[in-house]
Amino acid sequence: MLYGLVFALGTVALLGMVYLQSAVYLTHRVDGILNTEADALASSPPQEASQRIDAALALDGEKTSVFALLSPTGAWIAGNLQAAPPGLSPGGRPVEIAPTPSFHANARLIARTLPSGDELVVGRDVNQLREIRWIIASALIWSGILIILVGLACGTALSIGPLRRLRTLQAAGRDIAGGNLKRRMPTSSRHDELDMFAGTVNYMMDEVERLMSEVKGSTDTIAHDLRTPLTRARAQLHRLGQGPTIQPEDIARVTAEIDEVLERFRALLRISELEARERHASFARAELTGIVDQVVDLYQPLAEAKGVKLSVGERRWATVEADPKLLFEAVSNLVDNAIKFTGEGGAVEVRLGHDPARPEIIVQDNGPGIPAGERTAVLQRFYRGERHRLTSGSGLGLSIVTAIMRLHGFELVLRDAHPGLEAVIACRTQELAF
Amino acid sequence: MSRILVIEDDVETAEEIASCLSAAGFEAEQCLDGARGLELALSEPFDAITLDRLLPSCDGLQVVKTLREAGLETPVLMVSALSDVDDRVSGLRAGGDDYLIKPFAPTELVARLEVLLRRHRRAGKAELSIKAGDLELDLVSREAVRDGRRIELLPMEFQLLEFMMRNAGQTLSRRMIFETVWEYYFDPGTNLIDVHVGRLRRKIDLPGAPSLIKTERGVGYIFSAP
Repeated sequence: MLYGLVFALGTVALLGMVYLQSAVYLTHRVDGILNTEADALASSPPQEASQRIDAALALDGEKTSVFALLSPTGAWIAGNLQAAPPGLSPGGRPVEIAPTPSFHANARLIARTLPSGDELVVGRDVNQLREIRWIIASALIWSGILIILVGLACGTALSIGPLRRLRTLQAAGRDIAGGNLKRRMPTSSRHDELDMFAGTVNYMMDEVERLMSEVKGSTDTIAHDLRTPLTRARAQLHRLGQGPTIQPEDIARVTAEIDEVLERFRALLRISELEARERHASFARAELTGIVDQVVDLYQPLAEAKGVKLSVGERRWATVEADPKLLFEAVSNLVDNAIKFTGEGGAVEVRLGHDPARPEIIVQDNGPGIPAGERTAVLQRFYRGERHRLTSGSGLGLSIVTAIMRLHGFELVLRDAHPGLEAVIACRTQELAF
Repeated sequence: MSRILVIEDDVETAEEIASCLSAAGFEAEQCLDGARGLELALSEPFDAITLDRLLPSCDGLQVVKTLREAGLETPVLMVSALSDVDDRVSGLRAGGDDYLIKPFAPTELVARLEVLLRRHRRAGKAELSIKAGDLELDLVSREAVRDGRRIELLPMEFQLLEFMMRNAGQTLSRRMIFETVWEYYFDPGTNLIDVHVGRLRRKIDLPGAPSLIKTERGVGYIFSAP
């Protein structure tokens, strides 16, 4: 609407300028001719003036000129104009007059005072000029009206499409706000601003939906995980209550069950704490080789105790922008998992990727690996695969790693190592994909 | 008998801390309010303070800051449900000596207090070596000698042994060990500390003799000289 108005105003202004310029130009030309004629007459000897006027009038076959010589009192001496019209003064602005009995057309007049004191009036028929002006004006008005009409029609036609798309976007937005998280903004193949906007909203909605489903899934998982040790603890307490004496070992057993619950809570809190953390809060240049060496040092005795060969593989010096302690925690969790699931006689290798531009920390084991179908699921928050249920610990190690990855914008990739599992921390920021 | 001031606004928790301190042979004084706690700490002599991080009337951080500004060096163990590294750092930076996260085992609290008290008593004394029975840890050459036999220690093993010997007779939880020796504040999980302690044991223990490091089931370890 606003654009239409601006367009119409612009057209009117443009055409107005064209009209004004051409009208002014034509009038100037007439005035120039009048001045030349007046100069020519004024320069002739005074006694010849009236004859020259008569001669000029006689020559003017088309009757387009006005000449008059008036005495200083205004009395007619010669020419085809009986008296000076009001407003016409010698040397003043040109005056236009209506047709008179002696001159049957509109005329534009100028006046001069001759050296003899008489007043010379020179004029020209301006009907032609007026007609040209009118032709120009009407041509401009009609073309203006046409331009505005066509412009409005095109504008409306062009905006109907986007408007309709905007309406569907609005409808989709209302639907989503109403709770339908599965709904997405419609996109076209045009890749224009609306599509970019819809793409951003859809990406946002994917995240929201993922989070919502994870929260739902995690509530079930947490409830299940906590119920088991609590039920066991309750049963043991019940048994203790019925028995005649209480042995310290019995208490220790119940305490161990409760400790397991607390440990899981701690892990859950750790995850939510990591997720609530502000990104870049304690980021620094983290040196990856140092982290790898330290983690291997920390886990070497554990690996030996479990009969697992833990080694550092190829490692090219690389640094990334990260929280070194958190990165250490993430790698620790991966190594811990690898040792846990590889078992006696297995081998775990920690190494860095080849490409310094895309640093990767790789923890590879030759254990049973994770079935392809479960590989993406284990990366979800709070997901615990079947294999986790058989082992001790909070079982939330991978969830903690995922939370740390998300905090950094890094990515955890699980690959089949034939045999075993290759867990890769890809230290590159994930691009938003639209 | 060491006097401990317990500043904790939750009555249940305060009772639990106090009773478990009493059981460990401490004299505990409870205080449910930060401002009042600060007043007590400044007016009466205490050997250590346990301080809740979130208190009504006066924040725990403010209490410890004020204490330190007043020149009081009493060891402060901060207890908090906030476990983020940043919270821990801000707690320690304000002047806290250690940071314990709720929920905690009572034994863990006592253990940490003992370590703080020892460290406080030891402060200012320059040592060249630590001795426990026939085991001597040379702090300069960073090696251990037991019964005249030199024992090679890896840097981490040395630090682990130093921490245990300094707190001999004191129960040390796995978490405390991990936080103090490795300076990481996450859950190391699967008996990671156990294997490190096991490895240290094999190095310092004499064959046939009982271990210098005893396992406290479900809690942690105690170093005790024979």
